[in-house]
Amino acid sequence: MNILNRIQSILSPLGHLPSYAGAYIIETIIVLIFSVTVIAGMVYFFRKYMARVQNRIGPNRVGKFGVLQVMADGLKLMQKESIFPDGRDDLPYKLAPIIVFMGLILAFIMVPYSNLYWFGSLTITHSNVGIILIFAVLAIMPIGEILAGISSNNKYAMLGALRAVAKDISFEVPMMLSILAIIMISSANTFQPLNLQNIVSVQSIPFGILEPIGLFIFFVSMIARASYSPFDMGESDSELVTGDTTEYGGLRFGMFYMGLFGTIFLGSMLVSVLYLGGGSGPFESSIGFVWFMVKTIILVIISLTVWLSMPRVRIDKFVNFGWKILLPLSFINLVITGIIILSGIGGIA
Amino acid sequence: MIEVKQPKRIPFIGMLQGMITVFKHGLQKPVTVQYPEQKEILPDRFRYRIFLSMDDCVGCTLCEQVCPNLTISMQQVERENPRNKRKLYPDVNFGTCTICRNCEEICPTDAIYLTHVFETARTRNSFTYNPEELGKHEEEVKR
Repeated sequence: MNILNRIQSILSPLGHLPSYAGAYIIETIIVLIFSVTVIAGMVYFFRKYMARVQNRIGPNRVGKFGVLQVMADGLKLMQKESIFPDGRDDLPYKLAPIIVFMGLILAFIMVPYSNLYWFGSLTITHSNVGIILIFAVLAIMPIGEILAGISSNNKYAMLGALRAVAKDISFEVPMMLSILAIIMISSANTFQPLNLQNIVSVQSIPFGILEPIGLFIFFVSMIARASYSPFDMGESDSELVTGDTTEYGGLRFGMFYMGLFGTIFLGSMLVSVLYLGGGSGPFESSIGFVWFMVKTIILVIISLTVWLSMPRVRIDKFVNFGWKILLPLSFINLVITGIIILSGIGGIA
Repeated sequence: MIEVKQPKRIPFIGMLQGMITVFKHGLQKPVTVQYPEQKEILPDRFRYRIFLSMDDCVGCTLCEQVCPNLTISMQQVERENPRNKRKLYPDVNFGTCTICRNCEEICPTDAIYLTHVFETARTRNSFTYNPEELGKHEEEVKR
């Protein structure tokens, strides 16, 4: 029983179709509120964590402990004047931030949040091919970044977009191969191996223990997907102003910013779903969501530590790293997974 | 040709060490001092603001002569003081004072001295303290 069914049963006097339509709308609003809250929390947590790592205090003026600082910044961004560059490609320029944000929210509705007491699961879309769908949706976001780069008529934005493309093609193949290994293991155990709920329930031993190489590749890929510090070639803020978002300001820039922090959280959620068992843990039928969030937040802390401790990798080195290290490693991972499945280690049939 | 032996490197170990160092810094206390609300403890011998005891001043003008950048200039103040018959008292412009403490050292009667008061920020555009103001506390001067 998830939240969608609960709302539908409350609305059931309206009739079958209207109740489902209303339930979907309300549930979508709930997930939107959840994701925006999570993103705001991520921004606040990142600023506070970065400050503490640098022995500073961080935001502490707006609200208690600076909690309302993110809201104040958001209000400031909303009030700002929209400045459009001359000679821009108008439609892609305006569409790009929406595409980035939309891809993020679409991915949020498909993640298998586990149960939380009476409320149930927050997930809207229970697809039997969820894992394919979620990576298809994740592939929407770079389109927004690239459109932003090439439509804003700016050499820095253009260079940032080109670097983002080079980065994307060099990590996507190893990422999808490590996903293939996940699907291999889960297909040995269940008849619907592409369903994210099934992938979570299959993990009696978390896949991260069975395939540590896959976990490493996927985590690196998620860092590169969110494009923050070792792999922020698209932004490159010490060389290319701010890369593909150079010409953006106000709320449009805010959307890119939210996209960045949302992707960090989303990447951590995906790692914890695919490799750390998602919501499984003691008492998972009632507090699975709590387990899921705990794992995710630990991964977020690790991600932010990576962000704060590493310099940017040069773009050609990252392309080398992707094609010469990550790709062979992902093939090795596939072979190891095959051996695990055939030998039946860890209760895998 | 000298061959330099590179130390054998294990990949990712250095990165992990860096991450651990960064994480440990997150557990330390911040060094920031939130100035107006929270004041740092000053060293004992810290000195800034010049004070003047007008009863002790004999108007010898030694402080004016020893001042390296004309911060102190003597002014006449109508005041009954049998020891200071010329009625000359120092006037200090804190805009140019370098806290060299020469005036304090040379003063024969210890009339001019420096204290640890340092919050002399003010809204008016002059940093000059006339002899009466030099004898008062900072709050009274600002009023």
